[in-house]
Amino acid sequence: MLRQIWIVSVLNFKSLRSRLWQSMVIVVGLAATIGVMLSMLSVSAGMREAYAKAGDPNRAIVVSKGVDQEGSSAITRAMAPLIAVAPGIAKDKDGKPLADRSLTMGVPVLRKDGTKGNTVMRGFGDKGPGVRPEVKIVAGRMFQPGKREMIAGLGAQMMFQHMQVGDKVILPDGQWPIVGIFTSGDQLEGQLIGDSETLLTALHRANYNSMLVRLASPDSLAALKSALTTNPALSVDVMRHSEWYARVANQQTFALALLGYIVGVVMAIGALFGCLNTMYAAVSTRGREIATLRALGYGAFPVAVSVILEAVLLSVTGALLGAGIAWAFYDGKLDLFGNTIFHLSVSPKQIELGVIWAIVVALLGGLFPSIRAARRPVVEALRAT
Amino acid sequence: MKYLPLVWAAVMRKPARAILTLLSVMLAFTLFGLTIGMNATFAKFKEDAAADRMFVFSRFGGLVPIALQRQIESMPGVELVASSSGIGGYIKDPKNRAFVQMQDDKVAKTNPEYPITPAQWKMVRDDRMSVLVSKMQADRWHLKPGDTFVIATPAARKLDGSASWTFKVAAVTPDMRIFSQGYIFGNFDYMDKARILSDQNKTGQFIVKVRDAGKTAEIAQQIEDKFANSATPLQSLTEKVAFDVTANTGMDIAAVDRDVALAGMFMVLFLTANSLAQAVRERFAEFATLKTIGFSDGGVIALVFAEAAIPCVLGAGLGIGLATVISNVLPHFLPPGQGLPIPTMELMVFVWAFLCAALVAFISAALPALRLRRMDIATALSGRT
Repeated sequence: MLRQIWIVSVLNFKSLRSRLWQSMVIVVGLAATIGVMLSMLSVSAGMREAYAKAGDPNRAIVVSKGVDQEGSSAITRAMAPLIAVAPGIAKDKDGKPLADRSLTMGVPVLRKDGTKGNTVMRGFGDKGPGVRPEVKIVAGRMFQPGKREMIAGLGAQMMFQHMQVGDKVILPDGQWPIVGIFTSGDQLEGQLIGDSETLLTALHRANYNSMLVRLASPDSLAALKSALTTNPALSVDVMRHSEWYARVANQQTFALALLGYIVGVVMAIGALFGCLNTMYAAVSTRGREIATLRALGYGAFPVAVSVILEAVLLSVTGALLGAGIAWAFYDGKLDLFGNTIFHLSVSPKQIELGVIWAIVVALLGGLFPSIRAARRPVVEALRAT
Repeated sequence: MKYLPLVWAAVMRKPARAILTLLSVMLAFTLFGLTIGMNATFAKFKEDAAADRMFVFSRFGGLVPIALQRQIESMPGVELVASSSGIGGYIKDPKNRAFVQMQDDKVAKTNPEYPITPAQWKMVRDDRMSVLVSKMQADRWHLKPGDTFVIATPAARKLDGSASWTFKVAAVTPDMRIFSQGYIFGNFDYMDKARILSDQNKTGQFIVKVRDAGKTAEIAQQIEDKFANSATPLQSLTEKVAFDVTANTGMDIAAVDRDVALAGMFMVLFLTANSLAQAVRERFAEFATLKTIGFSDGGVIALVFAEAAIPCVLGAGLGIGLATVISNVLPHFLPPGQGLPIPTMELMVFVWAFLCAALVAFISAALPALRLRRMDIATALSGRT
């Protein structure tokens, strides 16, 4: 049986050349579908990846109860030390808890294309570098606590104007110089970082936004959580940094991803009809050939399988072509959506998704033509012109 | 017209092929309708934006003293300044995010296009707990005039220490395109007087109306400059920019939409061109017969064009129809709080769709038509093609 399938399929593929343009309908259809879908998803996937990288599971974030963004959370000066002494937080070499008082604020910037945008200015407390060791200076130097200066992320430098070392950014109380450029390999790279206390003073603000802590061990979240949520002096939520950023990413990318999938589904159904059309035509052009095989004693099943195999081969070729184009054009390209800077992403996982879609389309699109091919009476098919 | 039965017979020669081609074309145009319709929505947002208005708010986040209202109003060219501030929280469950925009009584004058009657504004002015709820929001929260509801605001800093706001529905008002999720408007004073003392007499933003729409951008810059070195540096954003999706997201979504629509067109072009080429090849001898009995070259070619146009134009019509249905149904399936712009099916979308359909038909028919013009009748009739 397998041998029959093999022989019939090889024969099929050999005759593909004579049906080249017809077969291209499937290839082009799937290439367009998967190419467009993965290009659109590269935005939401890239944003998700940037947030996922920023959300270290060995960190936990403490915010006001019930908030869904750092900006609307408030941690008062009175709350901060209570949070820092809670159990489950890692200690630095001096025995101090690795708990950082952080701050976020929006800062208007000019995008490279001249339009106005916003980025996030983040305040690091004295434990900031300890809690976020991935922040590395690549040019200039680190900002000094107490000074009105800041460092800019590499992504921010590439997407916004006036972000070189030595440039000044308008902040409350005058212009602050950029003294260094940092990388972190995540979404933080699109932001600016300064000293929390200095920023609080300049902003005339009383509260921090959140506390970011390094966990003593990955399992110590439970201890930290129960200590903080049962403390009557605090009204806070505690969660793993990875979970927090997964939530933020969900909020920001939901609509975009949905759009990508809607487009993908509509195009895939269109491609499916194209596939059906082509496979019906293929079966009918090869009617005699198939009938001859059947007359020689080949079974109906190998014939049907060979038709489906052909559809799968063409579809997957198309999907890989489309995914390849999307990958070549977009993967890794630095982009910006709203206030988030990230690299567009066409990952192997997404390409896999594209190939799976293509296989589904091919199975559905090949099934009915294959049944027709297998069922056609041999004599009738041999007589047909 | 008298050749219509002839063309129809040609199309229906292979009903399966005709229907599959039609469905494929239909889906490509569904996509076309959704994407180009969405661009129409973006264009409408921009149209709806008043050229003589802008938003003015704190450059670095936080509240702005209302005292600045008078200072801005006294600037040359400024006609009116209103205060507007948001209360964001949730109703009963943190998943049910809700938002009330608290408007002072000048908003009726700065935004006269709001579909709210003077009597309705008066209700909000006279009873500070009253709110105007748009139809969409009223449906979502099952509210009717006279109902009261509570919005929990975890991060609220209120004078009485509570973290929630109680509102009474004064009236249900018509929706506005720009608020794609609907809106709730409340009384600014109610919010202002209930907040902790240090937050009182402050607003989230001003709505500034200028006398001469041509000077909006200029005055926006003047406002920023005037307060640049004050205790509260301000940022101004003209409505035209605020309602511009490209400026907002930093991504040219309209161009993405066009590319997607184009990819769909490319896909069907391949399909229709192939089906037609095949249909013509199969009936080559018949065309020769037509020529023999006196059909001119032009006549035969016109028949081929008509044969191409039927699935294209019919598919375009059905596809745009389906897109219209989807854009009416889709909003009911989206989770609340996810602002996906709903496509607008305006006349231009139909016009573009039919132009594209005609173009696809034309290109598909071009090659077969050329072959028919060059055909040698005797050879074709003999079947040796």
